Amino acid sequence: MQQPQFNVNNLGKDVQTHDGRLHILTDISMRINAGETVAVVGESGSGKSTLLGLLAGLDVPSQGEVWFEQQPFSKLTDDERAAIRASKTGFVFQSFLLLQALTALENIMLPAELAGIKDARKRALNLLEQVGLLHRAEFFPGQLSGGEQQRVAIARAFITMPKVLFADEPSANLDAATGKKIEDLLFELNAQHGTTLILVTHSPVLAARCQRQIQLAAGKIVGDSAC
Amino acid sequence: MLSRIAWRLFKHELSRGDLWVIAFAMLLTVFSVVTLSGITQSVRDALLQRSSQLSAADLVVRSSTTPELSWFELAKKYDVATSHIQSFNTMVYHGDAMQLTSIKAVDQRYPLRGSLVLISGQNQFHQVLPGQVFVDQQLLQRLQIGVGDEIEIGMFKAKVTGLIDQEPDAPLNLFGGNPRLLMSLADVSTTQVIQPGSQVSYRALFAGETASIATLSEQLVPLLPKNSRIQQLDRQTTLGATLDRAERFILLAGLLGIILSCCAAAVAAKRYSERQRQSIAILKAIGLTQTQSRRLYFSHLFFIVVSSASVGMIFGQLAIAGSGALMSQLLSDYQPKMSWLPFQLGGLTALLCAALFAARPIWVMAQTPALDVLRQGAKSIAFDWPHLLLSALAVFCLMWFFSNDARLSAILFGACLVAALVIFGLAVLVLRVSKPLGVGQTGSFVLALASIRRRIWPNAFQLVTFTLAIFLSLLLFFLRTELVSQWQQQLPSTAPNIFLVNINAADKPQLKAFFAEHQLQTGPFYPMVAGRVTAVNDDLLVEPDENNQGSPPADGRREGFGRELNLTWTQQLPPGNEIIEGQWFSDTPQAEVSVESRQAERLGLVIGDKLSLQIGGFGKVATVTSIRKVDWNSLQPNFFLILSADLMVDIPATEMTAIRIPPEQSALLNDFARSWPTITQISVQQIIKQVQDVIAQVSLALSFILGLIVAAAILVLVAQIQSTVDERQRELALLRTLGAKTRFLRLSVLYELAMLGAIAGLLASLLAEGVLAMIQQQLSGTAFQLHPEFWLLGPVIGAVCVTLVGSLLLGKVMVPTPAQVIRQALAEQ
Repeated sequence: MQQPQFNVNNLGKDVQTHDGRLHILTDISMRINAGETVAVVGESGSGKSTLLGLLAGLDVPSQGEVWFEQQPFSKLTDDERAAIRASKTGFVFQSFLLLQALTALENIMLPAELAGIKDARKRALNLLEQVGLLHRAEFFPGQLSGGEQQRVAIARAFITMPKVLFADEPSANLDAATGKKIEDLLFELNAQHGTTLILVTHSPVLAARCQRQIQLAAGKIVGDSAC
Repeated sequence: MLSRIAWRLFKHELSRGDLWVIAFAMLLTVFSVVTLSGITQSVRDALLQRSSQLSAADLVVRSSTTPELSWFELAKKYDVATSHIQSFNTMVYHGDAMQLTSIKAVDQRYPLRGSLVLISGQNQFHQVLPGQVFVDQQLLQRLQIGVGDEIEIGMFKAKVTGLIDQEPDAPLNLFGGNPRLLMSLADVSTTQVIQPGSQVSYRALFAGETASIATLSEQLVPLLPKNSRIQQLDRQTTLGATLDRAERFILLAGLLGIILSCCAAAVAAKRYSERQRQSIAILKAIGLTQTQSRRLYFSHLFFIVVSSASVGMIFGQLAIAGSGALMSQLLSDYQPKMSWLPFQLGGLTALLCAALFAARPIWVMAQTPALDVLRQGAKSIAFDWPHLLLSALAVFCLMWFFSNDARLSAILFGACLVAALVIFGLAVLVLRVSKPLGVGQTGSFVLALASIRRRIWPNAFQLVTFTLAIFLSLLLFFLRTELVSQWQQQLPSTAPNIFLVNINAADKPQLKAFFAEHQLQTGPFYPMVAGRVTAVNDDLLVEPDENNQGSPPADGRREGFGRELNLTWTQQLPPGNEIIEGQWFSDTPQAEVSVESRQAERLGLVIGDKLSLQIGGFGKVATVTSIRKVDWNSLQPNFFLILSADLMVDIPATEMTAIRIPPEQSALLNDFARSWPTITQISVQQIIKQVQDVIAQVSLALSFILGLIVAAAILVLVAQIQSTVDERQRELALLRTLGAKTRFLRLSVLYELAMLGAIAGLLASLLAEGVLAMIQQQLSGTAFQLHPEFWLLGPVIGAVCVTLVGSLLLGKVMVPTPAQVIRQALAEQ
């Protein structure tokens, strides 16, 4: 039997606030297989981004465990989790989060260089061509439109040919038409690379394009269904 | 790969300003340290070279027995040149005439430093060969002989082969002493005058590289018997001690500038770190480890420190070379020496400043969690107490490092801390009470006031640094002007440069006529006679042990002067003298004496003590009626003991005075010597020149420090104003979105900057006034005097500087374009 790529058991995340302990996620258990496209949906404050952070190893849980490819994230050090992210994951964020100091090309090359990939530049140029921005390779993020920045961010996410792509509201900062184009690009590249996609979104339309939807409310899974 | 990413980020960051502030701060720091320590060292070198020339060696060991062979063997090991001198007093005969003479027997290597110059002949002789005898003018006169005449020293007969003009290590016997004779050491045994029990003193001379001399000196100390001691050359003069104090002042004042520029570096490093937080989070999210992020950003700091320290060292070397060239012009015999010490000090200071002021924010920044990529809104770093404590530690370490005095460092550190706290408190108070200013006002002024009050704590912190920057500039400006003018007053261009001794009362009218004819400035005439203090209140004084200086006699008895003193008597308190205890002589004094304060302290004298004096065969007793503080730097005739005239009526004496002969009239000295051959001329021109050289160098160093402090102050302004750019940008973008006009926004920012500058200037004036009052009270004892110019200058300078620097830095921010507003709005999401 195929092992799941993510195995999440009784996951919980608490934070300390002035008013006492706040439970952001409670008793989350699920499995995600390699190549699946999963949308995490829910109201604001339901814990979607926190769950994404835990699945990506950006944070560690207060309770329970996230197993990624048979490795327990909470048993790994920050640097070991960073090494996994460098080689196996990609990210697309709502506000693009490109390094303002680097050109579009350099931003795309960055994860590949960190992972020690030799042909980073060649790969980056290919991806720039795929996202239709080859003519803007030497532009800085401040010189690009929102849609262009997100296309650069998507190209950056795919350069290491990750096994998992995490996307946090990838089209929320864009107008509807640009947003649609970005979503198309994301799914197209995802299909090409056979990457697992874990997507946090408010948009039912975007969620509907995924194979599976996990519904969160008040930090708990209230629905997990195939589309 | 990481280095490539680091370099790309570095290139971009250079265009954003923060790294430049750190770079300039480091450059300024290293440049200052290298230059200041280099200049002070070249002044010290010049003094040491002069000291060596006046001692004929770099190191002298005095002994009452023959120097041991092991000393010379040790010197040979370190490639140090050696020479040997014997000195004794004996009678020198010419026919029936005889004269007690100070004989100095030297080997052929003498002098190791400086030159022995003879009058009769063009040559500067460097050697005294066996059979040669050189004598001074005094011996020729006393024995009524000339060069070529035969003299006898014990059983040794020789012809006088030269007349001494300059003898490098001749004792400075201002007022008499035996005539001098120089002969070869090889001829001493022929004289047969040295017998067991004879009073002979020996000197071993050493000269070589500074490091070799230092090592030799260290290794000689344990070898020396009780009757031998090393003669200190560099600290023995008043000038050496003055230079020590000046050097310490220069380094400490320079240090304040360095601390100021390091504060700028700390502020810039904090802002740089805050700006990099999001980048770190992104980099970590895509796989950068914490260790890598530290390496990446520390490489920026490393590059900045190394490159700016290198440039600082190059500039510093240029400044030292300039100072060396100036010194060579001032001192013809000065040879500049290359030293690595200023560079080592500069490098160490840069390392210390970078590690303790700038490294902490970058270390903390690298801890930014990757999770921040998913968090909304900008988060600033909480106030970092360890950074404050590390910066305080850095300040203290720098103070200690530069002053080499833990107590002084602790006092200075405490004073700075108190000053910072007081300014902070005053700043908060002023900002709080500024509210009524806005009443009745409208528009941009009210907005500026509101902005000042809203950021009351950060503004108070900014005000502390602005105030300190302006305060130090004001203080240094004043101190430099004041100190230099005080020094110049001490050594006016009319200061006497020739002392005339041994004047007979009968010669005085013609002398005065000569002075008047040539329009020479003269001082008062003082009668002078040699005398010895034998007892205090019937307690006989013991002779000081020459080889055990500084330690009181073991039996607790009072130690005397150990030599004859030059005594004078006068009814007028001489200029440069101040009575600090008792009363100056009345019109009808009764056997009284006034004592110089340091000697009174050394002998334990109090008002009412009775001194027994032996003056030319007469026994006298005088009561101490006053103690005087004497300004020894005045280069005027000064005396340890001044007696009341009634004591001296029956004692024959000659007189002395001091005159100034301008360099262009120096030929007059020859006329003078021909007309009055018995009057001894003693030139202090060289001493005056040396002091003037030091003053010129110290003034130069002070001007440099003033420049340094002003540059550091501007750097602080830049760093502090830059640190507010992001916040202002957000606020102004918001106001612009709400429809505020360009002029309104621009004026509100300018008002705010001008008000902050004026408040800082006012506080700086207050502080400068207080510190100057303390300095005046402590150093010169003068009454408190207000400086109205400060009260005007401070606020005006503050307002102008802060507004100018601010409007240059905030130019684009003050008037955000619609595109900036939209981008800002996007970034806020």
